[in-house]
Amino acid sequence: MSQRLAPVTNPVTIEVDGESLTAEAGEPVAVAFVAAGRTTLSRSIKYHRPRGPFCLSGGCSQCLVRIDGVPNQFACQTPARSGMRVERQNAFPDASVDVLQATDFVFKKWFNHHEFLAGVPVVEKVMLQIARKLSGLGLLPEKPAPERPKPVIEAAGVVIVGGGAAGLAAARRLEERGVTFLLLEREPACGGRLLVGCDDGAPAIVVPKSAQVRTGATVVGVFADEGRRFLAVVQNERLHLIFPERLLLTNGGQPTLLTFPNNDLPGVFASRAVSRMIRKHRVLPGKRIAVVGEADEAKQLAKLITTSGGTPLAVGAEPVRVHGLRSVQAITVSAAGKTEKLDCDAVALCAPQSPAFELARAAGARVGWDARARLFAVEADAAGKAAAELWVAGELRGPMSAAAAAEQGLVAAEAIAAAVKGATP
Amino acid sequence: MSKALLCPCEDVTSSEVEHAIEKGYCDVESVKRFTGFGTGMCQGKQCLTAVARLLEDKVQPKPKPSQLMAFTPRPPLFPTELSLWASASFDPAKAPGGGVPDAIGLTEHALKPEHPVPAKAKVVIIGGGILGLSLAWNLAQRGETDVVVLEKGYLCAGASGRNGGGVRMQWGTPTLIQLARRSIELMGRFARDLGVNVWFRQGGYLFLAKSDAVVAKLERAAALHNQHGVPTQILTPDAARDVVPHLTMTGVKAAAWNPLDAVVFPWPFLWGYAHAAQKLGVKVETFTKVVGFEQRDGKVTKVITDRGDIACETVVLAAGAWSPAVASLAGVALPNEPHRHEICSTEPLKPFLGPLVSVLDSGLYFSQSMRGEIVGGMGDPKEPAGMNLGSTQRFLTRYSQALTEQLPQAGRLKILRQWSGPYDVTPDNSPILGRTPGLPNLLQLSGFVGHGFMMAPAVAERMAAWMATGESDELFERFTLSRFAEGRLEREDMIIG
Repeated sequence: MSQRLAPVTNPVTIEVDGESLTAEAGEPVAVAFVAAGRTTLSRSIKYHRPRGPFCLSGGCSQCLVRIDGVPNQFACQTPARSGMRVERQNAFPDASVDVLQATDFVFKKWFNHHEFLAGVPVVEKVMLQIARKLSGLGLLPEKPAPERPKPVIEAAGVVIVGGGAAGLAAARRLEERGVTFLLLEREPACGGRLLVGCDDGAPAIVVPKSAQVRTGATVVGVFADEGRRFLAVVQNERLHLIFPERLLLTNGGQPTLLTFPNNDLPGVFASRAVSRMIRKHRVLPGKRIAVVGEADEAKQLAKLITTSGGTPLAVGAEPVRVHGLRSVQAITVSAAGKTEKLDCDAVALCAPQSPAFELARAAGARVGWDARARLFAVEADAAGKAAAELWVAGELRGPMSAAAAAEQGLVAAEAIAAAVKGATP
Repeated sequence: MSKALLCPCEDVTSSEVEHAIEKGYCDVESVKRFTGFGTGMCQGKQCLTAVARLLEDKVQPKPKPSQLMAFTPRPPLFPTELSLWASASFDPAKAPGGGVPDAIGLTEHALKPEHPVPAKAKVVIIGGGILGLSLAWNLAQRGETDVVVLEKGYLCAGASGRNGGGVRMQWGTPTLIQLARRSIELMGRFARDLGVNVWFRQGGYLFLAKSDAVVAKLERAAALHNQHGVPTQILTPDAARDVVPHLTMTGVKAAAWNPLDAVVFPWPFLWGYAHAAQKLGVKVETFTKVVGFEQRDGKVTKVITDRGDIACETVVLAAGAWSPAVASLAGVALPNEPHRHEICSTEPLKPFLGPLVSVLDSGLYFSQSMRGEIVGGMGDPKEPAGMNLGSTQRFLTRYSQALTEQLPQAGRLKILRQWSGPYDVTPDNSPILGRTPGLPNLLQLSGFVGHGFMMAPAVAERMAAWMATGESDELFERFTLSRFAEGRLEREDMIIG
């Protein structure tokens, strides 16, 4: 069972499929679900498998719900507000008991949609009609969108995307060098893994004071419509189009999914989702938490779980299979040549993050397969330069500690400062 | 309950990806298209690493690091509401610029097979899009199996993998109406003939007209449709709203409605034709580029590729918008020009939209795919000619403004991804078919101006018959390349965008 590590100080009531759920005001809806022990947020698109939050960072699709009549909202990115109306999607009759999960049992391994009933007279037509009815996730929004203000269009010198270990270090160094910059952070506060990870020896969070730091600002794209590069940024439901002279990307990575049977069952979390819930939201997602995967990270997370009153198990073991019908009940792991099944109520997957290379690639960087880490990473020179007026630092370039990411941020900032000075007569 | 999920958004399991590998899809872009992984709400953030690791473990011989390539990220980076894109403005007088580059073309070198292409073949088809592959299958059906299809990228890399999947009978000339009717018939039985589901859905096409000139065009076309057995009706705006209740009819003067038009999922057509043709003996060579031609006595004798030469009797040029570039290698000038058309897709929704809706005045079109996404685009009158597959914010803004005007609730939907594909535009909006003046064994099969996908099944059927029997067919006499020099144009005006 999950538990709150601190009492709710500012309770709000949200409505979930007509029932009430108490949440801490402003915490993500997904966290309120986990804290209340409600694991299933929706049903998956084909097999109607139960789905619960996984990454808690807007990088997967496992917590999508309908909120106040708008479909497919990330419950992990939506702060709980009083009176909010949450509906779980894609389930019949409801997300807890969904008869359509029969498809999951009928198609044991997978469903060959290319060939299933292809060309069988009459049956084929019925199949198409059923497939159409079952397709899709949410229902059309109830209402048109409210009138949005015109976008803010602005020019900027240096723009840093991502206020984690690398971005904050770079920001401080640019400030020291007297270079003006704008830092954009997607989360409500800067820190990234420093705030939600569990690295031993991670640097402290120091946000430059004089700088222009914008939190809650999501970069949704880098475009070059008329040959000039610009960022499309969404902040407070308003679009900003920012034209930077130089761009430093430090937007880190996404949790990496490990592959084993039932890896999608509610209660299986990315390791940083677990540390995030404990450190930021004071919620322990289970009593007995299997901490599997990469050994160093697992040890650090296990320590955090122990100090929070939970029991870590199978620390650093290899996950073989998760057991449970609607949520995690046990896990089979393999360690030192031995396989064992252990009861648990949550699983944390420890693995180096997969670099979030999309923005860098769209801005002109090269992306290659890192054969050692077995991830796609952004390629750059020693100073972090990846393309014309584009620098990258931190986990975008591959797995590394928070301290190493900060060091890369400093190096890139020095290079940018030199470029700015060199360009200024 | 024992699935290992690789892509939880689209419920793609590890067994499904292993099946794709067995079918010969061994690179990330091909596996994405064959399984649908990476096309859901997270757009590959969660699944890409897991899929690439499985490829590294299972593909034989083991891929080199340079052969493991991430798929092209499609903007936006996070799902973003149409209302936000619509809030921006754009200058309609300016031409759209480059945009976020597409990686098509980057993959060829590393993924090029090491073994050479066959040294000879009776027919070489250049272009592994729907036109080339459907022709190959039709030839094989007629017993001509000594055919090699050359594709420079992966299957679905070109316009055949980038279009909106609309198929309609509502055209402006008898030839296209008849070809489209036959194509729709063939698409309706594709699963029976080729064993692959293409999710053919006859939800109709609803054209909206906002000016008297477009109303007149629709009326003219509808009369022609009725003469050729297509039941197109001209509707009042109120009657059109009965067809799609969520639409606003602001500014709409009339609509044209044919319930027999349809929407398909384009990708499976390519695998369907390719697999069936290969079963009959056709060779489909992907990641193989044509770099030249050998000619003797007014004939093409060899096709030169980056994997060796192929001696052949007949060459068919079916490379879509890339055809002029390939033709120039043989010293042939084609008048086709590539024009970028941008397109995008929203999150998947439960079914609410039956037909494909198009505003002919502005070039806006949108439909709901079998997976539930709203897929749509909008031609840009200022788009310059040239091969450009970039994606722009300008397009998202134009499209979002136009779509939310017609379907206000769409303002709260989110764009998941945008991409673009090239229309293969000819001076008279009609295709280029048949023999090349001066090089009679180089056959043309291009210039379909954005509707090659829907015409392919019918055109390929007739072209295979024409090639195999030698019997004359007016299609390959009228639409020849020589018509431009002779000033014999075949104008088609029911082009979207």
